[in-house]
Amino acid sequence: MAQKEGDSDQQFELFEQFLKEWSRRDFLRNAGAAAAWTAFSGGVLEFLEACGGGNTTTSVTPKKGGHVIEGNFSDIRTLNSMLSSDTASNQVIGLMFDGLLNVKKNGDLIGALAQDVPKTSPDGLSYTFKLRPNLKWSDGQALTADDVIFTYALAYDPKYADVSSPRRGDLSKYIESVTAPDPQTVVIKTTQVFAPFLGSHGSYGILPKHVLGSMTPKEINTADFNTAPSVVNGAFKFVKWDKGQQVTLERNPGYWAGPSYLDQYVYKVLPDSVAVTTQLTTGEIDIGPVDPSQFDAVKIAGNVVLTEFPTPTFTFYAYNLDPAKLGGQLFGDKAVRQALLYALDRQKIVTAVYFGHGVVANGVEPPTSWAYKDKPQVIYTFDKAKAQSLLDGAGWTMGSDGIRAKGGVKLKFEMITNAGNKQRESMLTVMQQSWKDIGVDATPKLIQFPQLVSQIVSVRTFDVFLVGFNWTIDPDEAPLFHSRNTAAGGFNGADFKNPDVDKILDDAIVTLDKAKRKQLYFQFQDIMSDQVPSPIILFNTGIWGVSKRVQNADFGPFNQFGARPWMKDVWVTDGK
Amino acid sequence: MLAKYVVRRFLASIVVVLGVTLITLVLMDRTRGTYVPGIDLNPALRPEDIARLRTNLGLDQPFYMWYLTWIWNVLHGDFGRSMIDGSPVMSHILERLPNTLELTGTAIVIGILLSIPLGIVGALRRGSKADHALTVVSVAGFAVPQFWMGLLLILVFSVTFEQHGLPWLPSSGATSPLNGGDILDRIVHLIMPATVLAFFYLSVWSRFTRSSMLEVLSQDYIRTARAKGMSERRVVYLHGLRNALIPLITLVGLELPGLVSGGLVVEVVFGWPGIGRLAFERALQYDYSTVMGVTFFATLLVVAGNLLADVLYAVLDPRIRFA
Repeated sequence: MAQKEGDSDQQFELFEQFLKEWSRRDFLRNAGAAAAWTAFSGGVLEFLEACGGGNTTTSVTPKKGGHVIEGNFSDIRTLNSMLSSDTASNQVIGLMFDGLLNVKKNGDLIGALAQDVPKTSPDGLSYTFKLRPNLKWSDGQALTADDVIFTYALAYDPKYADVSSPRRGDLSKYIESVTAPDPQTVVIKTTQVFAPFLGSHGSYGILPKHVLGSMTPKEINTADFNTAPSVVNGAFKFVKWDKGQQVTLERNPGYWAGPSYLDQYVYKVLPDSVAVTTQLTTGEIDIGPVDPSQFDAVKIAGNVVLTEFPTPTFTFYAYNLDPAKLGGQLFGDKAVRQALLYALDRQKIVTAVYFGHGVVANGVEPPTSWAYKDKPQVIYTFDKAKAQSLLDGAGWTMGSDGIRAKGGVKLKFEMITNAGNKQRESMLTVMQQSWKDIGVDATPKLIQFPQLVSQIVSVRTFDVFLVGFNWTIDPDEAPLFHSRNTAAGGFNGADFKNPDVDKILDDAIVTLDKAKRKQLYFQFQDIMSDQVPSPIILFNTGIWGVSKRVQNADFGPFNQFGARPWMKDVWVTDGK
Repeated sequence: MLAKYVVRRFLASIVVVLGVTLITLVLMDRTRGTYVPGIDLNPALRPEDIARLRTNLGLDQPFYMWYLTWIWNVLHGDFGRSMIDGSPVMSHILERLPNTLELTGTAIVIGILLSIPLGIVGALRRGSKADHALTVVSVAGFAVPQFWMGLLLILVFSVTFEQHGLPWLPSSGATSPLNGGDILDRIVHLIMPATVLAFFYLSVWSRFTRSSMLEVLSQDYIRTARAKGMSERRVVYLHGLRNALIPLITLVGLELPGLVSGGLVVEVVFGWPGIGRLAFERALQYDYSTVMGVTFFATLLVVAGNLLADVLYAVLDPRIRFA
């Protein structure tokens, strides 16, 4: 038996090796296409205009009936909106449970169960939501303000402290009360003016009080409802969940926005991104996220329309700036940080690692944000000479071994990322080579994902880490860059502390004046471009393959996951 | 005699189960760091959320406390709930088990049914073209990694066949997403994964049958049987095969736990909703309770499989006695 296990381990190593080989081969084939793509994706703004193209417009009258199968390699964990923390679960939950608000593909908030985006009180503390008239749960019960109060209570009311909600930290800090002057009206009072509130917390799927209300917190954590919701308020009703295979939903005829065209929607779990490509090609699935390395393979198939758009998802590396650690000694001087960024040909990374499907970042805000500053104070284009002169100027002189040193300390460090993520692994290799060219000895080291997370949020013995992250629709970036999040458990693992940045980030969330916020975030982006504590390599694009038989799929930067407001309008030409 | 032996083996197996589960837990715990299973990084997550969720999962206590609590609960028939989705671990296992048994059971049966005749042919026609061909095939079965063969089958029988308008096989899952689940639908989904898995068993067991058969056929009692004028058919099947199959029993018996865990690679490649894939995915996500549950289950089966093989061995071979 022991020997057999050894065999399968070996087979897995071979498997991983094979995947690497595979992507390399694809890389060679795609290199040409990638170059062409790069030329196209040059202008981000035009790109935004073009986003969500594909098969969105049609002059044919939609037909009722049929199904859509969406494939993804991420499995679902829970169907309870207040317990979920991953995108796959949120996506399926969003099809069954609407929140007060929803998000358009450009990030604008729109009313969902609430008629409209709420009125804010003059002091900026209270939001008054008017619910749509005659809202009903799928079992016929009325959906009222009580359900909303109940849902939010699960994540802020001390009574429900034992509910394992990942939202409690934020909500219990910012929610003062949730009340209902009448069954159609919900008033959420916040403890302080908190600009990101609606964008971050306004769209949680509302849960039925008449089903869950009588349960204890512990019972809610483990309720059958979390795996088989008996009652919904969204476009689709739950049918079944074959674990490890698929979740099947069907039309909710009583949906407030009108019944969906589709009879059924299936979320199918696949082994990996290669399987998504295979099954888009064979027609086993109708919709699926396409890995950049698979772009051409899907395009060649011909039965699938590809949609691509910029997203607030990004990959960045961060220095350990803690003065007590090696990183603090090496990277404490911003000239070193700037030099290292100048030495990186990020466009080449986008081309080589992402096959051109990505946008080099100019600053810390995503190009999709309303607070995005196109040209912050310092813009880093690949400039090896400048990198070298910056290092020379900072006193890091080239040693006989080809490695720079200052005061006996060599510019030599380790870069960590999670093993198994091909793209991140390749990026570290490119960084190693690029920095070697300017006399910097950086060694990539691959660790398991949980250890990487531990390094970022608590252990913090790393020199440099590389990881991906995803911003919400609000431009607040305090989680990564505010000094208070250097505390254990916070995401500012880089130990970046800058009083000016702290002040801007604090000021920018305590006003609802968008123009003022925008101006503050412009300042923020300028400072960050000068300080570069955690340079962003690129913003990823979202790529979706949609079968030609599927109409009205309307993917965009902010409505790919969660409650897709367009899903009820999706229909299939063959009616099957 | 036999009863005493079984009891002794049973007691020994408790130690094995405890050891294996403890090692599994220590390995997970030592590599987890401060990561909280099931929590994805997102900007709205606060340090206090992470701390609270860690406590809720019981991960703030040392691993031995977690282990003792787990043992205590298992003794009361409670395998706990998954740290990722909150469902009972037992329901996860029971939901996946039939799928895994369907896959590995089919593969093992195909393996046995084909490997014995092929092994006999190889032994009787030793050195012939047929024997050489069989050797090549079974060496290939050893050497070709299962994931590679799986991907190759998908490429040919799903993608290429579909492109040429031929009847093609579904590339993942155990049933069709819609209106699936009838016998025919299950068989269609089963063909490729079961073939890959059966190919492996076939290679091992046909080689084994062949060499075991050759050894038996050179024994004195076979020569005696032939000398007294017994028909070749009776010699081969009555005296030869019966004796040659005894060692194969052990081999198949050892493969019984493979009923649960043996299909891991195949399950992953074909997105088969089985136990192996469950354990693999949950190990990557550090879902302690699910991994421990599956480990416990698999270890139990290994122990039982070994025991069963030993007992069968004694029943079939009168020369073996328990001591």
